[in-house]
Amino acid sequence: MKRNIYLISAAALIFACSPFQNVLYAQDKALDSALMDRVTELEKQMSEKKSGDDHFMVAGLATFGFVSNTTTTTSGGISQKATTNSFPDVDHFEFSPLFLWRHGSHFLLEFEPSFDGFSVGVNWADVSYFVTPGLILRAGYLVTPFGTYSKRLAAGWIDKLPTDPTGVADYPSLSDFGIEAEGGFPLGSMKWSYDVSLTNGQQLLPDGELQPVGAVDNNKNKTITGRLGLLPISNSSLEIGVSGMYGTVGDVNTPYESAKSGSWAIDLNYVKLFNPILVNFKGQANFTYVNTQKYVNPTDSSLYTFDNKTTSSYAQIALRPTGSQNNFIKNLEIAFRYGRYVTPENSLWGQTSDIIDASLNYWITWRTVFKVGYQSNNGTSTSLENSGDKIKSESLFIQFAIQL
Amino acid sequence: MKSFLKNKWIFLVLISLGTMAIISINGCKASQQVSSKSGVQLWSENCQRCHNTPSPASFSPEQWETIGMHMQSRALLTDEERNKIVAFLKQ
Repeated sequence: MKRNIYLISAAALIFACSPFQNVLYAQDKALDSALMDRVTELEKQMSEKKSGDDHFMVAGLATFGFVSNTTTTTSGGISQKATTNSFPDVDHFEFSPLFLWRHGSHFLLEFEPSFDGFSVGVNWADVSYFVTPGLILRAGYLVTPFGTYSKRLAAGWIDKLPTDPTGVADYPSLSDFGIEAEGGFPLGSMKWSYDVSLTNGQQLLPDGELQPVGAVDNNKNKTITGRLGLLPISNSSLEIGVSGMYGTVGDVNTPYESAKSGSWAIDLNYVKLFNPILVNFKGQANFTYVNTQKYVNPTDSSLYTFDNKTTSSYAQIALRPTGSQNNFIKNLEIAFRYGRYVTPENSLWGQTSDIIDASLNYWITWRTVFKVGYQSNNGTSTSLENSGDKIKSESLFIQFAIQL
Repeated sequence: MKSFLKNKWIFLVLISLGTMAIISINGCKASQQVSSKSGVQLWSENCQRCHNTPSPASFSPEQWETIGMHMQSRALLTDEERNKIVAFLKQ
């Protein structure tokens, strides 16, 4: 027995002193050293990290759908009917990734390119500086503060109907290059907000229409746009806003040099749960004018004038039984909208349109919706060349919209 | 040109006067009723003004900070509202 103990001890002593054991020890030491180097490197990186950290994220939206349209045009007692149906068209397809880059707690870069089925454009590309409570400064290609539809409600996953209200979203044009100041404040049990921008503005075309002037201004003046909003109820259910826009729109050194345009808008938003129905009412009215100018009549190139005033408005209501106990029913929503779009009489594009929209929506998630909509558009031409012509259009929409 | 400048300045002055008048009424302070609101209450009241109320699980806490800034500039939330709503969504 004693002999066996001696043998085991001798074997253990030989193993401990063997070259194999030395190799294992050296490998462990090298591993420890590499780990320590890595930890030291990470500690160095952390200590060098600035307080104004960079935070980048991608969100965005996509809409896709199908539209079937029948348009009947009646001119001189003769009617013509045209029917189309297609997968997305320009108004109902959008793929818009939104890049947000927050630098510390004061700077935010926003960039939203957009593919509409035909071309790639940019909805906005700007940098915001959160200066103090109640003051945000912004510069770049921004959405001017005129009404609320374009800035807050136009996205397919927010809009209760498959289409934009005609005219409200794009006349006057609302994405522009410039600077902006905005903020929101408490006001006792109410709230109010301001939003003011100074931008390049619009350009008056020879037929009297206005279009965005783009990155290079067409005159020395800038367009000022502002909105004041008031939320008079403490639960923020009601918001009322008034907006104005004013600027020179004529190209310098042309007959339109003195042309100026002004626009006014009022908007209203009311969202309240009357258990079990969530009532969502929205409306906006835009009014745009251009001071008296001479326009070109394309038939004989003579000059003539017309009262260059355009109005666009909509009122919509959406009802959703969010208080229902049934999961399927609580995700259903119905929406109705009435819109009116009146362009200048005796202009080349003069028309009065009454548009009725209805939609049945199913909310798959809070930001994913499936819509089946119907639109009726009754138009009467008041244009210089086709006054009295009737245009009746009916459309069926199927739309899927998602925010990511 | 003079007319244009005059109109532009009238517009600016009206906005400034309106702003100052509103500020002077209540000194831009929230009432006790408003300032005692929780983040979850402000989340439910303000988000649905434009869209459905988002699930806190939709984004990471870091992303909610960024989205909070984006949404404050869209909906013109007050700073207190943004801070409380983001704090709730980050939980």
